[in-house]
Amino acid sequence: MDYAKMEMRLVYAHTLNELIEENPNVYCLEADLSKASGTNPAVLEKHPKNFINVGVSEANMIGIAAGMAVEGKIPFCASFTCFASRRVYDQITISVAYANTNVKIVGTAPGITQGPNGGTHMCFQDLAIMRAMPNMHVYSPCDPFELRSAMKFMAKSKQPTYMQLVRSVVPQIFNEGYQFEPGKAALLREGTDVTIAATGYMTQFALKAADELSKKGISAEVLHFPSVKPLDEKAIIASAKKTGAVVTVENQNIIGGLGGAICEVLSEQYPVRVKRLGVPDKFGEVATEEYLFNKHGFGIPHIVEAAASIVRKNGIQE
Amino acid sequence: MNSSHETPGKAELEKLAKDFRFIITDMICKAGSGHLGGALSLVEVIITLYYRIMKTDPKNPLWDERDRLVLSKGHAGPVLYVALALKGFFPKSWLGTLNKDGTRLPSHVDRIQTPGIDMTAGSLGQGLSCAIGMAVAAKKDGKNHRVFCIIGDGESNEGQIWEAALFAGHHKLDNLIAICDYNKLQIDGRTDDVLTLEPLADKWRAFGWEVFEMDGHDWHAIYETINRASEVKGKPRMIIAHTIKAKCHCQYENQVSSHNIKVPDEATYRKVIEGIPHDHELNYCED
Repeated sequence: MDYAKMEMRLVYAHTLNELIEENPNVYCLEADLSKASGTNPAVLEKHPKNFINVGVSEANMIGIAAGMAVEGKIPFCASFTCFASRRVYDQITISVAYANTNVKIVGTAPGITQGPNGGTHMCFQDLAIMRAMPNMHVYSPCDPFELRSAMKFMAKSKQPTYMQLVRSVVPQIFNEGYQFEPGKAALLREGTDVTIAATGYMTQFALKAADELSKKGISAEVLHFPSVKPLDEKAIIASAKKTGAVVTVENQNIIGGLGGAICEVLSEQYPVRVKRLGVPDKFGEVATEEYLFNKHGFGIPHIVEAAASIVRKNGIQE
Repeated sequence: MNSSHETPGKAELEKLAKDFRFIITDMICKAGSGHLGGALSLVEVIITLYYRIMKTDPKNPLWDERDRLVLSKGHAGPVLYVALALKGFFPKSWLGTLNKDGTRLPSHVDRIQTPGIDMTAGSLGQGLSCAIGMAVAAKKDGKNHRVFCIIGDGESNEGQIWEAALFAGHHKLDNLIAICDYNKLQIDGRTDDVLTLEPLADKWRAFGWEVFEMDGHDWHAIYETINRASEVKGKPRMIIAHTIKAKCHCQYENQVSSHNIKVPDEATYRKVIEGIPHDHELNYCED
């Protein structure tokens, strides 16, 4: 299968099929958004016995998943990020994280990728709130091969996990053999003047911004964090030691997500200048990606400007 | 293994219930506070389940063929702890540690902490969904054990209970037996005043469940009703147990204030413990 050109949601569905074929204890749980998640018809038709649609009842889905996990099942529960995280925050906290049940929660269409669904559906805080939950891993893969590797890890681990899933086609960043590891960042581009730290959907834009910065004579290092929790503290500290300046970029509120996590680490262990890019504590709205990038200032030109500005502040001339 | 129960006689059951009520009250008093009312209302139901109905193995709490119990009204933990301790799931000495620093017996049930607790509960409304997940898993694997779930009447205000009810009815989960501890009192008052559940039996029937009602303090009724419910095929079963909150406690019985009592000092302790009938001081923490 040509995963590189496939919609991420279909990569999710086909990978889930493989996982079910390898281990019949893997289950696909949906709450009436199975077409949006890509699992209907892909998983429904191939593995109907491992496909459970609970209807529009996300709280019940999390509880059922927890009960199944207690009995040794490995449920992957998907819904839009807003319903998979904030709507069921207490259910995940108690029935999954606190009870330590092996449930995998997949939040689809994160942040501004909700586009036409607008402010009610744009969840800008899932990374932050899920990260603040003890015993929870939080992932946000950036391309099809990383998604596949992360899912394979999730199916083998016993770790309660929340994962963001971008639904659309995204540019290929990794090769087939790439191995996802929780708590490991990927150094996508080496640089010396500034570190751009990104996760999930925003990593592709961070790479493009680094290209633009190179044209301006600024050497940007790009660190991708597929795992926002656990966070690769060593990688960000090493990079900060090298560049002395960090710009974080995420498809989220700038409060508490990747930027927040990185600030926590650097402020305690190696303080350098940091600029957080993302949504500056605002709600979403029905709009195009370009409009939202411009309004909130976290598209490619904004990353470039933020990186150049932080380099200037550190006294290095362009 | 406890798969075939030696049937305790009525006198023995009555003595067990008396001991349970004394131990629960004493544990809560020694903890300084606790959910007395909703634990005392479940005494006969829990004794019947653990001494006459459920397949369990105290030496192997995770025995695959056991019947499961999710105490969704997790604040009633103490009544379940007494059953589990007396059955030998863990040392009786643990009973003296309720809510103490470092305890394995927290106020709300916790599957990580306590052998024999099949699911963590305490945030109301969640346990029925978890029990459904266990029942679904059993069906998928062709296993024959039953999944019991005890919910509260106040808990039935939670929307998730009714999401779960819809699902279990739709999927005809006939390995699931839910019991509603209908003591008709919740934290802020009478259930009929706070948010009425009536007509409760009709509601569950409308959601596709086979519904039974019983006197939740009548040994014969409890045993017969659970057995009759177990025989129903093609539907999940709801047993509405009509109970009395803080049953048998002379100050707290049927009182709203019994939900969570405070026992700040020795004088209060003496008064509360004297309110529960007992023949002698039980050294219940000795194995």
